Formats: sequence, C-alpha cells, structure tokens
Amino acid sequence: MKATMQTTQTLSAVSPPRARNISFAWLGVVPFFIFAILFLILPSATLLIGSVQDRQGNLTLGNFAGMFQGVTLKFVAAPSEASLLGVTFPLPFTVDFQSNSIVSAYILSMQVGIITALTGGIFGFLLAYAAVLGGLPKFVRSALLTFSGVASYFSGVPLAFAFVATLGRLGFITVLLRNYFDFDLYMTGFSVISLLGLILTYTYFQFPLMVLVITPALDGLKREWREASENLGASGAEYWRYVAFPIILPSLLGTMILLFGNSFGAVATAYALTGGNFQLATILIFRQIRGEVLQDPGLGYAVAVGMIIVMALSLALYYWLQRRSERWLRR
Amino acid sequence: MAFLELTNVSKVFGQTAAVQDFNLNVERGEFVSFLGPSGCGKTTTLRMIAGFELPTTGTVIINGNDVTFKPPQKRNTGMVFQAYALFPNMNVAENIGFGLKIARKPKDEIKKRVEEVLAIIKMDSFGNRYPYQLSGGQQQRVALARALAIQPQVLLLDEPLSALDAKIRVSLRQEIRAIQQKLGITTVYVTHDQEEALSLSDRVVVMNNAKIEQVGTPFEIYNFPNTEFTAQFVGTLNHISATVRDVANGVLAIDSQQVVTAQKLEGVSNGTAVTVSIRPERISFAEDGRKPNVLNIKVENITFLGSIVRVQVRAGDNLFLMDTFNNPFLKLPEIGDTVEITFSKEAVLVLKNGS
Amino acid sequence: MKRSTLFPWILIFLGFLYFFLPLIGTLDFSLRLVKDQITLEAYKNVLTSARFQNTFTYSFVMALWTILAGTLLITPTAYWVHLKLPHLRPLIEFVTLLTYVVPAIILVFGIIRVYSRPPLSILESELGADFLLVMGYVAMSLPAMYRSVDTGLRAMDVRTLTEAAQSLGAGWRTILAAVIFPNLRIALLSGAFITFAMVIGEFTIATFLARPAFGPYMANLGQTRPYESTALTIISLSLTWACIGVMQFLGRGTQGQIQVTR
Repeated sequence: MKATMQTTQTLSAVSPPRARNISFAWLGVVPFFIFAILFLILPSATLLIGSVQDRQGNLTLGNFAGMFQGVTLKFVAAPSEASLLGVTFPLPFTVDFQSNSIVSAYILSMQVGIITALTGGIFGFLLAYAAVLGGLPKFVRSALLTFSGVASYFSGVPLAFAFVATLGRLGFITVLLRNYFDFDLYMTGFSVISLLGLILTYTYFQFPLMVLVITPALDGLKREWREASENLGASGAEYWRYVAFPIILPSLLGTMILLFGNSFGAVATAYALTGGNFQLATILIFRQIRGEVLQDPGLGYAVAVGMIIVMALSLALYYWLQRRSERWLRR
Repeated sequence: MAFLELTNVSKVFGQTAAVQDFNLNVERGEFVSFLGPSGCGKTTTLRMIAGFELPTTGTVIINGNDVTFKPPQKRNTGMVFQAYALFPNMNVAENIGFGLKIARKPKDEIKKRVEEVLAIIKMDSFGNRYPYQLSGGQQQRVALARALAIQPQVLLLDEPLSALDAKIRVSLRQEIRAIQQKLGITTVYVTHDQEEALSLSDRVVVMNNAKIEQVGTPFEIYNFPNTEFTAQFVGTLNHISATVRDVANGVLAIDSQQVVTAQKLEGVSNGTAVTVSIRPERISFAEDGRKPNVLNIKVENITFLGSIVRVQVRAGDNLFLMDTFNNPFLKLPEIGDTVEITFSKEAVLVLKNGS
Repeated sequence: MKRSTLFPWILIFLGFLYFFLPLIGTLDFSLRLVKDQITLEAYKNVLTSARFQNTFTYSFVMALWTILAGTLLITPTAYWVHLKLPHLRPLIEFVTLLTYVVPAIILVFGIIRVYSRPPLSILESELGADFLLVMGYVAMSLPAMYRSVDTGLRAMDVRTLTEAAQSLGAGWRTILAAVIFPNLRIALLSGAFITFAMVIGEFTIATFLARPAFGPYMANLGQTRPYESTALTIISLSLTWACIGVMQFLGRGTQGQIQVTR
C-alpha cells in the first residue's frame, strides 16, 4: 500500500502540474479501447443484434430457429446407423439434415475441424515425442522446431495452390506416381478438391502448431517422475499410462481444441482450393456476404453468430483445460 | 554378511571418474549417510544402489542378491528425491498407492496400506489433496510415505531436505530418524549438510573427489577425523601457524607463546613450521577456568549466533575463532581488548605443513 | 538400456516428407510453364505483370500502415498496463481473445455491416475502405503484436527502468523515446515481421472490402493461370519465410511463442 502511494507520488511529480492523481493514467489506454470497441466489439455486436431481429426490426429468435429449418429428428424403434469420422455406430433416432444447407455446412466444418485437429494433433505429438524423448541427436529437435515455426505460417491462398501443384491432377506427386510407379492416384477416386484433400491441406499448418505447443510440455516432464515410477516398480509403458500421459493430456486436448478453432474459422485455403464450391460454414458466410445464398439477412447474421458461439465455447474449454494443467505443474 | 554390500564400485562418465573404488557394508536396519561437497560422487553412488546408473566396475548386493545389473523396477528400493518428484496428476493417496497398484495388489489392501503409511507420517486427513495443495515439507513427507508404502528393502534419500526451510528441515529430519528407527529400515541418506549427517546417522561416510575419505560414527568423524579433508569439512576448524620448539615433549610456539599438544610429533624437528588445528568450541576464556594451554589474544570481532557466541581473536598474524555458549549473564570482552584464552593439550592437532 | 531409435527416425522422416513434398511439388510445378522444359517463364510473366506490381505495392503499403498503427496503438497500452494499470490486464487479454473468437470472415462481415450505412458510412470512399482494411489487419495481428511487446516489456523490467529514468530527471516523452522504445526495439521488430507475414497475402478481409490487394489477386490468378499462380506462391512464401526467419533470429533467447494462424 505504502509502496503504491509512493510510486503515484513520484509519477505525478513528472507529469504536467495540473493533470494529477486520478484519470490521467486512464488516458494511456483509451485509444486501445476505442479501437477495440470500434473494430472488434461493434462489428460483433451488430451481427448479434441483427441475428435477433426480423426484417421489421422486431426482437425474435426466429433466425436461429430458421437455421434448423427442414432438419427432422425422428425417433425410431430400431436403431439406425450414423457415421461420424468414418466410424459407424447405432443411434435411436434418425436425423435428416441433407435438405438444410446451414446445418450441413456446420456439420461439415465441424467434421473438418475435428478430423484435422486429430490428424494434426496426433501427428504433431508423435513428432514432438520422437524429437524430445526419442533419443535422437539434438539437431533434429531444433530443426523440427524451426520447420514447424515456418510451416505454421504457411496458410491461406498459397497453401491451397501448393497442394494443387502437388496432389492435383497434374501435381508433382500425381505425375511422379503415374510415371514411375504406374499408379494413377485419381483412378482411386482421390481428388485434392475433396474432403480428404482439404484435410491433408489443413493438416499442413495444424501439425506444426501442435509440435510448437507440445514440445515445451514434453520438456516439462521431469526426469525424477520417470525415476520415481521406475523405483516404485513401473515399466516404461506403465509410466506413460499412469504418469506422463495424464500430465500432458490437458495440454494435448487444449491444443487440439485450438487446432479445431483454427480450422473451423479458416476460409481462404478452402476457398482457393475448391473455388467456393465446398460448403463449409465459413464458405456459406462468404457467399452470404456476396449475396449469393440465403435471401434472409437475419438468417445470415444468425449463421455468423453461431460460429462465434462455437469458437467461444471451444475457447472456454481450452481455458478450463489450460488452468488444470497449469495448476498441476506450478512450482 | 551385511545387508547391503557395495564392493569395488566405480563409475566413470566419459573421461571423469564420478566414483572410485567404493567399498561399504551396511547392516540391516542401519542408517548410513553419505556426506560430502557437491560433485563428490555421493549421489551417483546412491543412484547405483537404486539402479538408475550402472556401475563401471564392482558389485551391489542387497540382502544376498546381486542386483548390480538389475533394472530399478526389480530392486525393491524406496527412493526419496530432493525435488519431491510427486506425480502432479495424482492425489496423495494415489501417489502413495502407486507402487502397490503397479504390483497389482488388491484395492482394499492398497487402501489399508495407504492409511497405515499416512498415519506414520501423521497426515491422515490429507489423502485427497493434490501435491500443488501441499507445502514443501508436506510434499516431502508424502514422498517418504510413497517410498515406504512398497516396504522396500533399502530406503534411499537423496538430499531430501535441502529444498526446505531451515525450521522444517530440522523437524522433518527428526521425524525421518524416528520413522526409520520405528520401522528398522535399512537407510542410505545423501547430504552435503554435516549437521544432518551427524544428527541422523549410525554411521557417516565422508566422500571427496569420488573417493571415501572416512567411515565412522558421527562421534568418530567429528572428534577423530582421519584426514585433513574430514577435519575441514565436518565442523569448523581453525588453522594456526606454529613452530616446533620441543619434539619430545610436544611443545610448540604460536606467536612466540608456548603451547603443548598431546599428539606425538613425528617427522618434524625443532624449528619446523607446522599448522595447528583447533576446533572453536574447544577454546574458552581463561577467567572461566584455566586449562594447560593459555594464550594472550586480542579480540577482533564478536558475532552473536543464538545459542553460541563466536569470537574472532588474533594472536600475532593468526586470526582464528572461538565459540562460547550463550547465557544471559555472559560477560563478553569488548572488541580490541586483550584477554587470555585457554584450551587442553588434546585440542591441539598438528597437521603437516603445506597439507 | 538403450532403446531403438528406428521408430522416432521414421516419424521424423515422415514429418519432413510432409513438410517438404508440397514445397518441392510447388517449385517443380512453377517451373513447367513450357512443356517438357524447366523454365522461369512463369516467374517472368508474373513479375512483369502490372497487376502484380500494383497489388503487391498496395499490400506492401497497407502492411506498413498496419505495422505503424499497431505499434502506436499497442506499445503505449502495454507499457501503461505494465506500469500503472496491471488490473486492466484481464480486460486487455479478453480483447486479444476476441480476435480468436471472431474469425476474419466474421469480423469483415460485421465491419461491412457497421461501416456501410449511416452514421459511419466510410466504406464508400477509397480512403475509408483503406482505413478499414488497416484496422481489420491491426485487429488480426493484435494478439501476436501484443504478446511480442508484452514479452519484451517483461524482459526489461519496465518499472525499475522508468523509475531510474525519473530519478535522473527525465520527463515522460524522454522516457518513452529514449528508454522504452530502444529497449523494445527487438520485440517491436519481431512483432512487425509477424504482422507483415500475416498481412501481405491476406485474402478474406481484402476481398470483402474490395481492395486491390495481393491476396485476392493471387486467388484470382489461380483460377486462370495455374503456373503463374504457383510461381506467385513460391514468391510469397519466400517473402513470408524471410520475415519469419528474421523474426526467429531476432527472437532468439526470448520465450518461445506460438501464433494461431488462419
């Protein structure tokens, strides 16, 4: 308390004679908050307000209800089958969203987000594990970190072009396989302008991010933990199962959530790769702004606000996990 | 046959020898400390007993079994680390029960054993806490409990108290000793703190430069150091230069004042310059009672250390220390006073010069 | 005792394949404008095209404005928060998080909606649109810029330096100009390079504000001129990576930081 008061005194001693004590300190951050209000909060708030208004400007939740229009949920006696991420499992109801472009777009975006978070996340984790704990020479680790730092910035339009140039019909790998291995990639049904192509492309900037985040976490595993567990009779596998993996799991999951958001909010790569024909939620908004789809503007705002909600939820989950692991690893 | 036998153990890391020709037998239930400065090889030796390092030569035998090349998992030792090394993702009970869980013990047996050990460290109600919710001292007690839970043949402690506050260090050290005596568990304790080693151990192994300097009871180590290093490292030691006056009768001169030693003088002749060592606590003021040796000194400095008062004195060019017990009625001389100090013949140890 | 390193090596090998194959593929593709021949023709076409020169210059200038605006906005704020208003830190962090929660496409959607109608209809004028573009970019690069400056401030112990300068009789202007900015130079430079790398090829905001920027030009070219657009990819990549390289070089020793890209 005393120290604070002293500081205030010394500071006011150099400030102009009349601007004393109160209010002066606030001036320093005012531009920042004006900026934030004008270019972050106001635009988001406008979308939010637009999403709960009908054409006449009356308050309504109709736009959000409209997002689900045409989706039917039927409970059936015999379990139907659903397929998510290529895994089929039984469900006690059927959902039909094919006729609703909004819900389909959201589901596609989430699929891409989840799959690339998983592929990028797992691949990135394995790479970091190999470099940090795999017993490889030191230079491998610094090389991996450097490349990851660089590759994580490779996104947007150029990334899409790079994958077309590599895996497209006339792409480098496609031609290589055809000429030297007599194998036609495109005869298998593969296309770079497909879900698989998009996933491969997104993974390119996803896995480096995982490497960058998880490497410090792996460094944080103390040697004593391993020794203590060995001393208590645990094998290497048991150490990983009971100690190391649970310790890094929150950062692992947290990072995957960031990766999910990263892919969920991306638009440039997908647009450049598929020419806007691939119905992701971001592409839907892209076309909505251009006035190509959805006649109802309120519905467009609702779609945008829906994305904000998904991002906010994922961020909240990320923070929850982050706090958990920080608490563990304090001191 | 001793319970823990280390025979001709050595460890070489690259070009440097971390441990050389280490021989030690520890009896069942004995508490042995490895004492030495950092880098003397004490921790490496402990890690070879635990199995984290393989000896370059020699054998490690625990309870008749040669475990030299066995992995740590197969040795049944209980290790306590300096930095606690509790698993942060497990609560106290899970930490303590970890070894038993790995050994596939039934759940209720684990629960019972965890409760027993928690009672031993007097933390009965802490089972559900997480390590980050505990103080350093509590964490280290849990680490001790975790090591004890598996009923190890040998308990190994690697500087377990050095990360703690001074107060907790003393109380936990007494607790460790009490638990060790109650359980009768064979214990090896690594420390660089002579007070810890002397107060805890049945025997102390003083190490320096990868080698054993001396093995003995705390009493022997403190009072009869075999080597210059032991004498230096354990306790405070004054070094005073003196000249031999009479070899036969053990008469020396410090600043041309006469001093007699009980030690037999060998390898020196009259007139040889020697170094004499005297522990500060063996010197007292002459007015409290005269002993055979009396010196006139000048008081240079007085430091109050709580239970003792440390006085720096000067005799000619020699500066040295004397300790006297504190009491409220103590009459201390002033700085600059010239007073008489006294000490016994036995207190005077003659070291060869240059050593 | 020693475990086999075969599996780690295989993983690292796969990682490096994933990293390099698209780069090699792109480079290879960009050199094949003329059938059965390695040629720099595509690069020549691109570099001599007036559209390229115009859009690139435009984006370059906008990037500079973004860096200037971002630096002027964020440095005093971060400094102030460090020195006098530490309790505002959560609020500042909330604002930087907003940029994650509101992706570029949503942000530009909102900006259009706010600034294309009264009372703030500045989108109509060229200057207004340029201004909005720069503000959008500042918002996008806000987390990276703020983190960079914040790390720099943390490393130099602002409070002590400020108080030392004050005790020597320096006024506020002198403190900022002679003490804080020079010590923050590396943090600011590395923030500037991240910003540049993010902004130079930006597509979404520029498209919807209908700006003649490099990103939309690249996307456009991709639909008609595959070889030229690949050459452009290589050019823009080299530029971006040069920035990242400079930034990583500058940032040696400072805490590792990650940047969420999109």
